[in-house]
Amino acid sequence: MIKVTNISKLYNAGRPNEFIAVRDVTLTVSLGEVTVLKGPSGSGKTTLLGILGCMVRPSSGRISLGDREITSLPERFLTQIRRETFGFIFQQFNLIKGLTALENVMIPAYPTGERYAPLRRRALEILELFNMSHKAAAKVEWLSGGEAQRVAIARALINNPTIIIADEPTAHLDTKLSHEFMVIVRQLREGGKTILIASHDPIVYDSELMTSRIELRDGRVINDGSRS
Amino acid sequence: MPHTLEKQRHILDFTLASLLRRKGKNGALFTVYTLIVFILASVMFFTYALKEEASLVLKGAPEIIVQRTLQGRYAPIPVEYGVKIRGIRGVMGVRPRVWGYYYDPVFLANYTIMAPEGVNLPPGSIALGSGISRMRRAYQGDTISFTGADGKARNFTIARILPEESQLLSADLILMAEGEYREFSGLPPGLASDLTLKVKNPKELATVAEKIVKILPDSRPIIRNEILRTYDALFSWRGGLLIIIMSAALLAFVIFAWDKASGLSAEEKKEIGILKAVGWESSDILFMKFWEGLVISLTSFLAGTILAYFHVFLTSASLFAPVLKGWSVLYPQFQLTPFINPGQIATLFFLTVVPYTVTTIIPSWRAATIDPDSVLRS
Amino acid sequence: MTARYSTLFCAITGTQLLLACLLLIHAETETAAHQPLIRRKAELARTLELSDLCLFTEASYTRHLALADLRTPFQEYPMAMEHFPSGSLTSPPPHLTETHAPHP
Repeated sequence: MIKVTNISKLYNAGRPNEFIAVRDVTLTVSLGEVTVLKGPSGSGKTTLLGILGCMVRPSSGRISLGDREITSLPERFLTQIRRETFGFIFQQFNLIKGLTALENVMIPAYPTGERYAPLRRRALEILELFNMSHKAAAKVEWLSGGEAQRVAIARALINNPTIIIADEPTAHLDTKLSHEFMVIVRQLREGGKTILIASHDPIVYDSELMTSRIELRDGRVINDGSRS
Repeated sequence: MPHTLEKQRHILDFTLASLLRRKGKNGALFTVYTLIVFILASVMFFTYALKEEASLVLKGAPEIIVQRTLQGRYAPIPVEYGVKIRGIRGVMGVRPRVWGYYYDPVFLANYTIMAPEGVNLPPGSIALGSGISRMRRAYQGDTISFTGADGKARNFTIARILPEESQLLSADLILMAEGEYREFSGLPPGLASDLTLKVKNPKELATVAEKIVKILPDSRPIIRNEILRTYDALFSWRGGLLIIIMSAALLAFVIFAWDKASGLSAEEKKEIGILKAVGWESSDILFMKFWEGLVISLTSFLAGTILAYFHVFLTSASLFAPVLKGWSVLYPQFQLTPFINPGQIATLFFLTVVPYTVTTIIPSWRAATIDPDSVLRS
Repeated sequence: MTARYSTLFCAITGTQLLLACLLLIHAETETAAHQPLIRRKAELARTLELSDLCLFTEASYTRHLALADLRTPFQEYPMAMEHFPSGSLTSPPPHLTETHAPHP
């Protein structure tokens, strides 16, 4: 369970281009849920996602993960929590060019010091899960959009996180691939993962997979946790 | 940390995979780096081995040589000076040395002719340095002709060739009986080129030298330590050619450092952001940069040093020979004894590997601490 | 399974280090083997009363570096390079300017 209380995030504080991305948000994400943050671009979805995923430090407010308060943890511990608890799927996929799909999948596990052979086996298994094992040795810049996203998802899963965070996952996909993505989300949910998605794509937020929808506008929650 | 080693290997894997993405650039970097180390290490090996050899071989040099200065240059010394010097306490023996130069107008080369004591040569015959023998294709039993001071050519029979192995000392020598040399060179009896002394106690050399100057103000004693120091100062790094090599190497390093220190590209910064976002710590990023610097500099250092060893000791510094030869026609062909100074290798290591690695790490210091959310907002 | 990059790197660096060690051993054995030769050279220097190495034969002050006087070489100032490159590789003997003899 992730709980944020009275969270605000201010960028470029004190400068002329100062702006408030998230204002006074309080919400709870329970384990096993599939939550979508919806709202127009600039509504603070991505920032809130970053805060929930321990990637962005809020300017004020508190975050707790389970029963542990993590607001003021030093960077090192936060990184460790991020690595072990969260898997990230970025809007631009953010794969490292020039490296193979397999290497990209393994990167988040490098700091754990896991033995190479089992790590490699595991990475191949995850790629296999998404029918990508034949592309394991391919450089990522040669992959199609759908393939690149599946590599990005495989990378998010390598450390076996409990929570998957995806930022606009269908932004660069066509309708067919977007539906395929939702199939993967179903797979993950059935695998017991908690999923948090920021999206303004109806294919995502109108999907019956969503257990919780949070609507954001101008950094504020305007419709919290309406279940369907 | 049980998995520290495996973690470092993972980071190293990643670094190498990253470096291999730019094979051309990094390959060129490796080549230039290796070349610089090769040149520096070659100079280092060569000069050290030569100096070491000089210091061992010239231990056999005379303890004191006394020259005479006349009108500001050295001039033949009257043999009777030796009698006065012999009277100084501690001097065991004085011997006049008779030697001089000979310019060969056909081969445009300078020889050194010596008439040493106790060399058994039949009348009309000489011993020839192996360098002259090689150049003039003159061998044992041949007759060779030199023009004397009176302008008349004289024929000499080559009784023997001086040993090849001692070319570093004797390549350009011609040995002759003293009487014949005086006749050949026109050095009148009663004069010698200089005097060599034997002294009872090596500690007294300086005292003896001072006494000689007191008795004979126009004399100039040179003690063996000074000869050794002369060769110790040979190839000093301030010397013209060496300072050019050194400054070229230094300049190349500055360019390297500049390239590194001028900061990371936007691409590199983005990659660091991704790594941080997926769970790499700042220290992991710095380790990655450390490996990046070390991989290039360590392999180049080792490759350059190994190549330099082969160059200097197994091919007799073949690339340096033309430089050392300069304008001299006669040049000894010698194989250096591989005297290695571990301190010098360590210095080279610290002057090449360490600064390069440091300049690789430092600019990434700030990038390593950027917020991972920069990736989210891009 | 293809080899890891780190394995390749360790193999290359390890080979280099091994080669470097072999060369150090080579240097040691060669130096030891050259001792009699060096002794013979020192003996030659002793019997012929030689004071210098035959490195640069083009000028008297580079051929007999230790015996150089103040007039022949280094005429303009002690580092003047008359014969390049040998004149730039050699420096005037240290005792040239602080000799036991008074300067003329």
